[in-house]
Amino acid sequence: MANLDKESAVSVNLTNPEEGKWGMVIDRDLCTGCQACVAACAMENNLAFVGEELSGNGRSMHWIRIERFWEGEYPEVKATPFEPTMCQQCGYAPCEPVCPAYATVHSQDQQLNLQVYNRCVGTRYCGNNCPYQVRSFNWFDYERPEPLNNQFNPDVTVRRRGVMEKCTFCIQRIKRAEDTARAEGREVADGEFAPACAQACPANAIVFGRVDKPETVVSQLAKQARGVKRLEELGTFPHVTYLKAG
Amino acid sequence: MAETLSLLAVFSDLEPAADAMDRLRALGVPEDHLNVISGIPLNEAMLGRKQQHSNVPKIALGGAVLGFLVGSALVFGTPYNYPVPIQVGRQPIIPGPPSFIVLFELTMLIMLLSTFLGVFLDSYFPSYRPKQYVADVSDGKIAIFFACPEDQKDKFSQAMTALGAEKVEVAEAKPL
Amino acid sequence: MAPEKQHEEHAHGEEHLRETHLMLDPKPRGEMNAMVMEAMHYTTWKFWVVAAVLAVIVAVGLFYSWGVMIAEGLGLAGINRPSYWGIFIVNTVFWIGISHAGTFISAILRVFKAEFRRPFTRAAELMTTFGLMQAGFSIFMHMGRVWLAYWLFPYPNQRLIWPNLHSPLTWDVLAITTYLLASTMYLFLPLIPDLAMARDRTEGGWRKVAYRILALGFRGTEGEWKHLRLAMNIFAFAIIPVMFSVHTIVSWDFAAATRPGWSSTIFGPYFVVGALHSGMGAVVIVLAIVRGTMKNMKYFIRAEHFEAIGKLMLIISMTWAYFFFNDYIVQWYGGDKWTNILLHFHEAGPLGFLWFLMLAVNIVIPWAVLWNKKWRSNPWIVGIVGLLINVGMWIERYIIVPISLTINRTPFTWSLYKPGIEIPLGIGTLALFILLYMLASKFIPLVPAWEVQEGQLAHRFTKYGRETVVTVSELE
Repeated sequence: MANLDKESAVSVNLTNPEEGKWGMVIDRDLCTGCQACVAACAMENNLAFVGEELSGNGRSMHWIRIERFWEGEYPEVKATPFEPTMCQQCGYAPCEPVCPAYATVHSQDQQLNLQVYNRCVGTRYCGNNCPYQVRSFNWFDYERPEPLNNQFNPDVTVRRRGVMEKCTFCIQRIKRAEDTARAEGREVADGEFAPACAQACPANAIVFGRVDKPETVVSQLAKQARGVKRLEELGTFPHVTYLKAG
Repeated sequence: MAETLSLLAVFSDLEPAADAMDRLRALGVPEDHLNVISGIPLNEAMLGRKQQHSNVPKIALGGAVLGFLVGSALVFGTPYNYPVPIQVGRQPIIPGPPSFIVLFELTMLIMLLSTFLGVFLDSYFPSYRPKQYVADVSDGKIAIFFACPEDQKDKFSQAMTALGAEKVEVAEAKPL
Repeated sequence: MAPEKQHEEHAHGEEHLRETHLMLDPKPRGEMNAMVMEAMHYTTWKFWVVAAVLAVIVAVGLFYSWGVMIAEGLGLAGINRPSYWGIFIVNTVFWIGISHAGTFISAILRVFKAEFRRPFTRAAELMTTFGLMQAGFSIFMHMGRVWLAYWLFPYPNQRLIWPNLHSPLTWDVLAITTYLLASTMYLFLPLIPDLAMARDRTEGGWRKVAYRILALGFRGTEGEWKHLRLAMNIFAFAIIPVMFSVHTIVSWDFAAATRPGWSSTIFGPYFVVGALHSGMGAVVIVLAIVRGTMKNMKYFIRAEHFEAIGKLMLIISMTWAYFFFNDYIVQWYGGDKWTNILLHFHEAGPLGFLWFLMLAVNIVIPWAVLWNKKWRSNPWIVGIVGLLINVGMWIERYIIVPISLTINRTPFTWSLYKPGIEIPLGIGTLALFILLYMLASKFIPLVPAWEVQEGQLAHRFTKYGRETVVTVSELE
């Protein structure tokens, strides 16, 4: 029993052997539920507007959503704090191995969970297997009426019907920052850029950065006692930490 | 030696057919000039025949080996086909247990395809050339084809009829 | 008892055995061939009316609806987060289940030399091939970009991408392809002598040409029979593990996922038995209809066959109940929060009645009916039980797929699945299955006459002392 001391037994499975690279911290105590992140994400990532009817049927394409529940029985109801939910960029992502076409794979470079739209054949297995249910499927081709077609972000592809999509942590912004830094012969500085949701958040509830570097703001925040990973018990090692007091 | 003829005798039942085979052997027809066609499978021993040689099991085995190799190529070859091996869900690049599934399915697939092909190769299927045949055979009768000298045709015919042949006639190749 | 009287009784007993058992009631092969050919040729106007109606349903329900769905998008179907899989997958599993019956009867019963199988091996094998076709249609309907379905097959390509061998869906592609090809070849091999028979008994016309081509020049030489029997033997043994692998892999599509209710280690055998449950049910439906509507089939398919399959159905129903309970109690005992919510949702959710209906038709009714030898000898009673079992097994898959998908670990997304265009498409696959089966029954000899004759030759009455008994010799 000498080798099975408490410390090593715990360290074997319960912590991520690798923190990943890019990560996010969401402070639920700060979130006001204003939906600015949802709007910013839609603009940045060329999300389709599905219209009122389809949206009512639960087919909106948002990559980030604000979750909120009512607890208790009327009239003794209490609202839970807002919980912005997007792809958790799992280290051990359940969505990845189940795709027969290698359309969702792990990026070695960014340690992110990629979705390769033009490789997707639409089996939607990844959507089923995502414990966070953050993937959205293009049920139709969605028209973008004039003049809205002029506001497409040229850095992001548009998706056609029959493919799955999800939050990418604004990988186009990550790449641009990395390229700029490399051209200038330096590392990407903490806070140099942010994904659209973090940038738009008026309460600064969303913070983005390198989680593998202990000195970054996001690492400092994630280490707080308030921090939790969602559905941690599944061992998916998400790269998003939620902060919540009490 | 005189010209030889190909005759056929049709029997309804197994016993007379077996007797006829013995009689033909006694009359000096070599074993390899005797041919039997039947409407149901007969064991070779029933008519006192040698075991037929078949390549089907060997071809099936070859197919199984080929299938295993194709499966191995898929399992061990394709994951390293990319500049950077594709990582999914932190599983190993070559997944352990799933490899067995792929190996199993491809082994079985190519083995069964080869078995099927083996029947075609061994039986010379498909062949639509005219062949010696009597349609009675698909009604469950047994037809014996044999070669006999042309001048002894009557002797052979009578011998067959005496043993219960329903008909004895000159076998002609005709389109099936 | 006077000796004459005793003798009379024995004669009567023999007569009774002859009446009830096909294998003891031989007819000359020529006569049997004529009966099989007549059954194949004989159609009434009713047949063509039904065929025409089915053809319309196939054209509209399957091909037109599918075309519209491909052009518009998968949104026409009711699938939606969190139920990303719906009736398409239910139907895929259902049809693969149906297809298991053919292999069970023509391979497992052949390996174990169960003689009662002989007249209907082909009728069952046809279900395998046509059922797998419907499963293929259903799974392709399910794909978001079906025009890229060929990307799932492993072949060298200019995209330099091979299928992901980690994915249960890739295993599925390999397994179902193997099974479809194997069962089609296994259908064809024993058919060759019967096609030769049909060729010999057809005078001219397109049928003659077709049979001539399909019979491949088969004559029945010793060599041809030898190769054929060896191959059939290899197939009979090899196709059994393939069959098990197919439905096990289908179950792994669910069991390998991180979902409450799906993550179950017993899903493999549970699904295989479920497949046999619906498959055997489907076989008796088909046999009851074939016997009732096709000419001369009352000679080939008798009460004894329904009795034998009925017994199998009862055993399979018990096995299914065993696996169901095994799966249920472990999930229940586990106490996982999400699984508990899911189990409660199954039983008391808005579709809870389906759960109870499933148990009633899959367990209660078969057990209540099939224990009785007289009842399970009646084609219509067994046929109706088979139909109910199929309803129950369809519901079982419906509960496993869309209903279980409703509940996940992210309650914010919970929403109930409401089917859309899946319904006409599903009805379309059913209609196509029936239509193909009807047309095939008019084109190929549905009863393998040579196998029946072989079996009849192997059965004899033998006297042991004063008693006449039936003995079977092993000719194979």
